[in-house]
Amino acid sequence: MRNTFIDAVIARGGNDLMIVSGDAGLGVFDEFRREVPDSFLNLGVAEQNMASFAAGLALTGHKVYVYNIIPFLLYRCYEQVRNDICYQKLPVVMVGVGSGVTYAPAGMSHYAVEDLGLAATLPNLTVLSPCDAREAQTAADFTLTAPGPVYVRLAKRGERAIHGTPVPDILQPLVVSAPDAADCAILFHGSIADDVMDAGKLLKERGISARVISLPCLQPLQEDVLLDMLQGVRMVVTVEEHYAETGLGGSVARLAANRRPAWKLRERGIPNRFLHEIHDAGGMRRCFGLNAAALARDIEGWLNDGR
Amino acid sequence: MNTTGISDTARRIRREIIEMAYRSGGPHVGSALSCADIMATLYDGVLRLEPWEQRDIFILSKAHAAMSLYAALAIKGILDAKSLESYCRDRGALPAHLDRFSAPGIECSAGSLGHGLNIGLGMAYGFNRQRCDRRVFILIGDGESQEGSVWEGALFAPRLGLGNVTVIMDYNNLQGYGRPREICGFEPVQAKWEAFGWQVVLTDGHDCQALLRALTAASDGRPRIVIANTVKGKGVSFMEDQLIWHYYTVTTEHHDRALRELA
Repeated sequence: MRNTFIDAVIARGGNDLMIVSGDAGLGVFDEFRREVPDSFLNLGVAEQNMASFAAGLALTGHKVYVYNIIPFLLYRCYEQVRNDICYQKLPVVMVGVGSGVTYAPAGMSHYAVEDLGLAATLPNLTVLSPCDAREAQTAADFTLTAPGPVYVRLAKRGERAIHGTPVPDILQPLVVSAPDAADCAILFHGSIADDVMDAGKLLKERGISARVISLPCLQPLQEDVLLDMLQGVRMVVTVEEHYAETGLGGSVARLAANRRPAWKLRERGIPNRFLHEIHDAGGMRRCFGLNAAALARDIEGWLNDGR
Repeated sequence: MNTTGISDTARRIRREIIEMAYRSGGPHVGSALSCADIMATLYDGVLRLEPWEQRDIFILSKAHAAMSLYAALAIKGILDAKSLESYCRDRGALPAHLDRFSAPGIECSAGSLGHGLNIGLGMAYGFNRQRCDRRVFILIGDGESQEGSVWEGALFAPRLGLGNVTVIMDYNNLQGYGRPREICGFEPVQAKWEAFGWQVVLTDGHDCQALLRALTAASDGRPRIVIANTVKGKGVSFMEDQLIWHYYTVTTEHHDRALRELA
């Protein structure tokens, strides 16, 4: 997903393309650096300078991509992102890798389980969380012509293909599995897609049909389109590798509070605390009930409770 | 423009600062007055502003001195002088700190310290990459160099060359709470920037001729910092080098006395 995104940007970017990194992404930009050496800068381990420098490049008419691990892209230099990039409405694309607990067991410093909450505080910022290479491809196309700032939340690589055909519009919710009559809908974004899809299969085996919807664009959320897609279900479950309170779960909860739909909402994400567990990414998901088996079990239980 | 003309512009900037501070009841008069000569020298004698599309860029990173920039832009006819009347007031045209969407000539939004230098470096690299000879001037405060981001930029810039960058430090030796050396000293400032690979020029920040010389000297290919020794509140005797004029607001009596001195 990461390489698909970067390769698409490099392939289709114009002369105004500038990619800067905060000393991350060894190997990812090798060919680009060889071909157009003045279009890539490693700005070193200095995130404040990185974010402001990117804003300056954009002020001179460049299309700027900033690449880093998410905490060092958004957290360390939050105020530079806020004041210099977003407040000034500059066409800077912040490409963050290591969504959720991708880098587990790297430790809390390297996890990104609250980035969407931070991004949600930034007006003018479009937030994309693609789930596979096809979404990443369309996301790349969108960012190349976006007039304002964009944050792209990526895992790393090797994500399972979810979409069988190209994704036409990255800003819209995308139905990836749509049985005629669904008992529930599962909303997700990003690399948790594999466990969500597997959970859908497990539920189907148990006679429960789930409408599965990917939300690659979390900001702005296409609320009316989403509400239409959710018609007829009695339960909506959000699943994400992020704190649910400040992620998709929170957004959908606000939507439900404002619009009073017929469905009940359940939110599933990383528990809202610092993580001291030592597991790989799969182990972390199991630990927090984000693996397919636990998701299927819990969704089945919630549906039965509601009967 | 000759230095008499520049000094006259500086005096007009100072008068406008007093008027703006008086009407708005806002602070930072001392900070704005300390860089009035720098602002006048830049806008009268240094910045190439024609054609506008190819102009040099000036970034006021110590944006709490915004009154000084607004005044200079108004005197140059870049910004509508009428907008000064509603500076920092309810339903006004100009905020206390810089918003680049508020008026023409504001190149960069600013207010939080330690941003402008790094944005300026990005712009300077951008211009070099576009093979154009536009230059970037950035004014920082002395207290501002306690920000780590300033040193991130200082450390990084020489690697890129960036001979089209000039940082000016308004070294008025008073920050919000006192003397920098008593709070978090950054001396020896010249040796530090030289060690980082910058061309360092020391100058009197109120001598327009010296400023003009420092700011128009040919680049040696390295980024340059001009350390301008200044006096906070310069030009108004009872404000000069007085910590309290970082915050004090201008009363009618202050206003009348100050304008008499700046006549």
